[in-house]
Amino acid sequence: MPKEITVDPNIVRQRSTVSFAEIPVNAYATPFSEERARRGDAALTEVLRHMLIIREFESMLGSFKATGAYAGIPFNYKGPAHLSIGQEGAAVGAALALEPEDHIFGSHRSHGEFIAKGLSAIARLEAPALRAIMAGHQDGGLLRAVETHLGGDGKVLAENFLLFGLLSEIFMRANGFNGGMGGSMHAFFPPFGAYPNNAIVGASGGIATGAALRRKLSGAKGITVANSGDGSTGCGPVWEAMNFASMAQFETLWGEKHGGLPVLFFFNNNFYAMGGQTIGETMGWDRLSRIGAAINPASMHAETVDGSNPLAVADAVARKRALLLEGKGPALLDVECYRISGHSTTDASVYRSREEMQLWEPHDPIVLFQSQLLAEGILTDESLAAMRAQVVAQVTAVTAAAVNPEAAPIVDVRADPTLIGKLMFSHHEIPVPATPAPLLAAPETSARIRQNAKKARFGLSETGEKLSSMRAITLRDGLFEAVLHHMTQDPSLIAYGEECREWGGAFGVYRGLSEILPYDRLFNSPISEAAIVATAVGYALEGGRSLVELMYGDFIGRAGDEIFNQMAKWHAMSAGALKVPVVLRCSVGSKYGAQHSQDWSSLVAHIPGLKVIYPATPYDAKGLLASALSSDDPVVFFESQRLYDTVEPFRTEGVPTEYYRIPIGEPDIKRAGSDLTILTIGPSLYSAMAAADELQANYGISAEIIDARTLVPFNYDTVLESVKKTGRLLLVSEASERGSFAMTLSSNITRFAYGDLKAAPRVLGSPNWIVPGAEMESTYFPQVDDILDAVTSDFFPEKRVNRRGVRDWNDLDLARLAL
Amino acid sequence: MNIPLLMPQLGNETTEAELTEWLKAVGDPVREGEQILIVTTTKLSMEIEAPATGVLKDIVVPEGDIAEIGATLAIIATE
Repeated sequence: MPKEITVDPNIVRQRSTVSFAEIPVNAYATPFSEERARRGDAALTEVLRHMLIIREFESMLGSFKATGAYAGIPFNYKGPAHLSIGQEGAAVGAALALEPEDHIFGSHRSHGEFIAKGLSAIARLEAPALRAIMAGHQDGGLLRAVETHLGGDGKVLAENFLLFGLLSEIFMRANGFNGGMGGSMHAFFPPFGAYPNNAIVGASGGIATGAALRRKLSGAKGITVANSGDGSTGCGPVWEAMNFASMAQFETLWGEKHGGLPVLFFFNNNFYAMGGQTIGETMGWDRLSRIGAAINPASMHAETVDGSNPLAVADAVARKRALLLEGKGPALLDVECYRISGHSTTDASVYRSREEMQLWEPHDPIVLFQSQLLAEGILTDESLAAMRAQVVAQVTAVTAAAVNPEAAPIVDVRADPTLIGKLMFSHHEIPVPATPAPLLAAPETSARIRQNAKKARFGLSETGEKLSSMRAITLRDGLFEAVLHHMTQDPSLIAYGEECREWGGAFGVYRGLSEILPYDRLFNSPISEAAIVATAVGYALEGGRSLVELMYGDFIGRAGDEIFNQMAKWHAMSAGALKVPVVLRCSVGSKYGAQHSQDWSSLVAHIPGLKVIYPATPYDAKGLLASALSSDDPVVFFESQRLYDTVEPFRTEGVPTEYYRIPIGEPDIKRAGSDLTILTIGPSLYSAMAAADELQANYGISAEIIDARTLVPFNYDTVLESVKKTGRLLLVSEASERGSFAMTLSSNITRFAYGDLKAAPRVLGSPNWIVPGAEMESTYFPQVDDILDAVTSDFFPEKRVNRRGVRDWNDLDLARLAL
Repeated sequence: MNIPLLMPQLGNETTEAELTEWLKAVGDPVREGEQILIVTTTKLSMEIEAPATGVLKDIVVPEGDIAEIGATLAIIATE
C-alpha cells in the first residue's frame, strides 16, 4: 500500500497482452576442448572423482540397507537412505561453480549435494583455513577421531573429515557433523557452505530465501542455493518462497538497498516425486523451468539444464551466480537428472518401466563423463581403474571407522537421559542492544512517540477511574516501546509481515515505525504465512534476528511446517550449533468467528523447541517482548486483540518508560488470596479478577490470581506455593479444553501438589466446538459467571446458589459426542 | 453558512482520537474533500476531509488534544 506506487486506471484498463521471456532448454554448447583449455585436465578429472565418491558413498548406504554389509563390513544401519544415484552430475556440476562462501540448503535427498559442496570447498580453501575449520569443530574432537582412525595429509585428511563427519552423522553418532541430532536427511556443515538439509519437501525454499535476505542486508559475499526436487513444485511454500524472493519492492522501494535476492532455486528434477511422475501425471508443467514465467517478468532467468553433464550444470550455475551477484536475483534452474536408485531402499520401482530405466543407462553422468575423459586421452583405462580403486578404498576406510564405536562413539542417552532435552534451547539472551541503527528520521519526530509521551503510565486516575486508551499507555503501546528499542538499537533485527509498514501491522502495534525505519528493516510481505516464517528462520540461521507477525493466530496452520518443523527444530538438530532468534507475533482474535478467534497457544506449546508467551498487561507485554527479542531461542508471542487497548491496571508505578526485561517463564501473582488459586492464561486474567471481587464480596471466598504469562518455559514454584496455601486450583484459559495447555498444567500440578490439594483441580476453558461470532462469543469464552459457577460447584458446594453461566452441561456426555 | 467538521466514527470500538496535525490554518480556503486534518487513534492515523468548500473559520479543538467521536473539531464557513 505504498502511496508512491499509483494504480493508474488509464494504464490498467488498456488493451494489451502479457508476454514472457523465452526459457532456454539445454542451451549449453561449449565444446569440450574449450572446457579442457579453461579448466585444465586435473580439474576435469576431479569432477569425475567427486562423482565417483558420491556414487560409492551412496552405494555403501544402499548396500547396508539391502544386505546389512558393505565391502565385508557388517552393520545394521537403522535410519533412512534416500539416495541420489544417477544425479551426481547435478550435484558436482553445481558445486564446481560455487565458492566456499556460497551456501546451499538441501532436501532429504542431499548426501550428494553435501559431499559435492564439501569437496568443492576443500579444493578451494587454503590449507591454514581448512585446518582452522576442522580444528574448530567440536573443539577438535571430530578431527582427532579422523586423524587417529583414518589419517591422511592436507586435502586427503580434509576429505576424510568430510566423509567421516557425514557418515558418523548418518549413523547418528556423537561426533557426526551435527552431534548425531541430524542424521541422514538433515546433515550439514556450515563452514563448507553446506547449510541444513531438510526432510520436509521444499522446506529449504523459504529458508534459503531468508538466508539470502540476510546475505543481501549484511553485505556478505556469495549466493544462496535452495536445492529441492521436481516434486516440490507441488508444494505451496515453494511458490510462496519464489514469490517472496521476487518481490518487486526490492527494486522499487528499497532505495540504496535495492536489488534482488541472491538466491538460486535449484531443482534436481529426477522426473519422479517419490512415485508420482511429475511430467504427464502430477504436474501441469511440461518443463519445470516454465514455472519461472509465472513468478516475475524476468521468468526468474529460468533454464532447463542437462543434469547428465556436470559441465552444463556448472556453466548454468556460474551464469546464474553472476546474475545474482549483480542484484538480478532470484534465479531458477531445472536440472534434469534421472534417479537410477529407488526413492528409498524400500522402493521396488513399481511406478516406472524397466525399459525406461534401461534407456537412461547410457545417460548416467558418470558413464558419460568417464567415456569423454577416456576418449580425450585425459584418462587411460589404467588410471581410471586406479582412481576407482582409490575411491572405493577411501569410502571403505571411512565406513570401517564410522561403524567402529571407538572412532564414532554412540550418543549416550542412557548415561545422560536428558542429553537431547538440553539441546532444545540455548536459554541465552543478548545484552541490551545499544548499536544505533540507521534511521529515516529521529524517533522523536514520530507522532506516535509524541502521543505516547503525553500518556499516563498507570491506567487508573488518582480517583481510581480507568483511563481511556488515548490517555494512558496500553498493551499495544508497551509492545511498541519494546519493538522501538530493539529496532533502533539492533541493526541485525528486521520486522515484517502482512501490512506491517504503513498500516503498522494489522492492529497498529508498529504504527509510526514506518516514519523512522527504512524499508530494509520494516516491510510489507505478501500474504504468505509459510514464507514469512520460513524466511525469518533462514534470516536467523545466517546470523540475523527476525520479528515477524501473523495477523491472526488462526493462520498458524498456514505456516504449520515452518513453525513446527523449522523454527522449533534447528537449534536441537544442529546440537546447539545454530541459533534461531525468531519472534513470531500472533494476535488472538475476537468477534470474527470460527477461523479468526482461536487461542492456539496450546498448539505451539505442544511442539518441543518453541518458547511460548502470552502476556495480559501492558507492563508484562513490554518486558516479555523485550526478553523475546533478546532471546537466542525461537519464541511464539501471543497477543489478545481484546487487550490491545488495555491500560495498566496492576502496577501503580506504571509501565516504565525505560527499557526493561521480564524473565521468560515466571508466572506472576496478580492478586493475593487464601482460599482458592485461579491460574489464568491470557485475557482470562480479567474475568478471573472480576470473579475474585465478587467471590470476596458475596461469598467470602478469597481467591489468589496467578497470571501464567508464559506457557513454555513454566516455573511451577509460584503455583505450587499458592496451592500449598489454598488447597484449591481453578485454571482458566480461552483455548478449547481438550488437549489444552491448561489441562497439562492441571495434570502436572495434581501430581506435584497432590498432598496439598483439598479437591481435584478444575480446568475452565472454551468448549470443543467452533468459536461463534460476536453475538454468541460470551457463550463460548469463559465469563465471570462461568468462573463463579465452577468455583462454587467444585470447591465450595455449600455456597452454591443458582447457576449463572451457560455451562450447564455434562462433560462425560459431551466427550462421548466428540465434544 | 457555518458547516461543522465532526470527528468521524473511526472503527467499531473507538470512542475518541487525538488531533495529530491541522493541515490548514484558520482563514485558509478549503475545498470539499480536501484533506485538512490528521487524527490518530490507538490503532491508526487517518486524514480527515473538509465536508464543504469555503474558509476554515474556526479551529475548535487544537492540535494535540483528544476529542470524542462526534465532537465538533472546526467550523467551515461557506458562501
